[in-house]
Amino acid sequence: MTVALTQIAAEFARYANLTLGGGSATIAVLREQVLSKRKWITDVQFDLAYGLSRLTPGTNLLAFCTAVGFFTRKWLGAIVALLAASVPCSIIAVVATHYFEIWQTNALFRGALAGALAAAVAIMLNTAWVLALPHAKEARLRALLVVPGAIALVTFTHASSIQVLGVAAVLGFAWPARAEKTS
Amino acid sequence: MARARGEDVLKFLTLYFLLLKATATSFARLASVPVVRDELVVQRHMITDHQLNSALVITRATPGPVGVYVVSVGYFADGIQGAIAGWLAMTTPALLIILLLRFFAARATHPRVRGMLQSVVLASAGLVVASSIPLARDAITGPVTASIAVGALVLLLSKKLDTLWVLCLSASVSLVCALLGVREVVAAAGM
Repeated sequence: MTVALTQIAAEFARYANLTLGGGSATIAVLREQVLSKRKWITDVQFDLAYGLSRLTPGTNLLAFCTAVGFFTRKWLGAIVALLAASVPCSIIAVVATHYFEIWQTNALFRGALAGALAAAVAIMLNTAWVLALPHAKEARLRALLVVPGAIALVTFTHASSIQVLGVAAVLGFAWPARAEKTS
Repeated sequence: MARARGEDVLKFLTLYFLLLKATATSFARLASVPVVRDELVVQRHMITDHQLNSALVITRATPGPVGVYVVSVGYFADGIQGAIAGWLAMTTPALLIILLLRFFAARATHPRVRGMLQSVVLASAGLVVASSIPLARDAITGPVTASIAVGALVLLLSKKLDTLWVLCLSASVSLVCALLGVREVVAAAGM
């Protein structure tokens, strides 16, 4: 299936720039679009793009979008996805920075922001659910060990995210997945 | 004039490489902040602590990745030109994933690589839960915001509404509460 570059640009511009709640929340939304709905990539490609994006320095979301673009249309797709995912939100950030002092004193803006931030918590939890669910079905024991293990590691030892992911990667490499996916 | 242009280019490149140093050596949401602060606030005085904090608050309130704060930092440091340097520093490391993909793509179905990716994705889910805890402490200030969070979660899990609409709905409910004088939201809004 050949995906038009304009389609790639439209999807990433819409979903990578209009989702609050951080990169993981946005990736969960993008997963629905590029995998479940449009089938531009496979489950294996999603896992590869997501897993490697967490191990790439910088902004994970942009690395993820670049990887999906690369799977879809090679280098051109990667560049288009990266531009579409980063330019609009950067323009919004510049405008917001310019007007921040004014907005900060606007009570209506702050009133609406209180609700949006509360919803962002829900978006984070939903993100964790969306990410873990397919693997929890396929590898229940691994999910039961790794998810709480990661929470405990970061909470009680104050390990950095990359340290936690590094431990998970080593553990996963030593503990091979049972069934090979072909879809 | 040529000298002024040369200084502009030098400032642009300096800002780009300083911000790139921060983004290319960090692997998590705001892990680059200490490097940015050390280089731009402490050593070079290109921005102030207040501006750095403002940049972080702005990215919490605007859509897009959290890493976009370097664009705000760049804007504070040198206007539009600085914002472009920030954008370049934010996007450059993303291209590294293509090198990783070229190595791992052919091995993606190998049980050990699958096991590794599976574990990384599951650990990421755990990290997302862990990072939602401080966010919840900050955002859920009483029964109204707690109800908004629970309602939003139900809507998201049932997949009845797109994330954007859930956010708009939550912001609208909160705004109405503020206008009706609900104490919790009024306090958050500083009305």
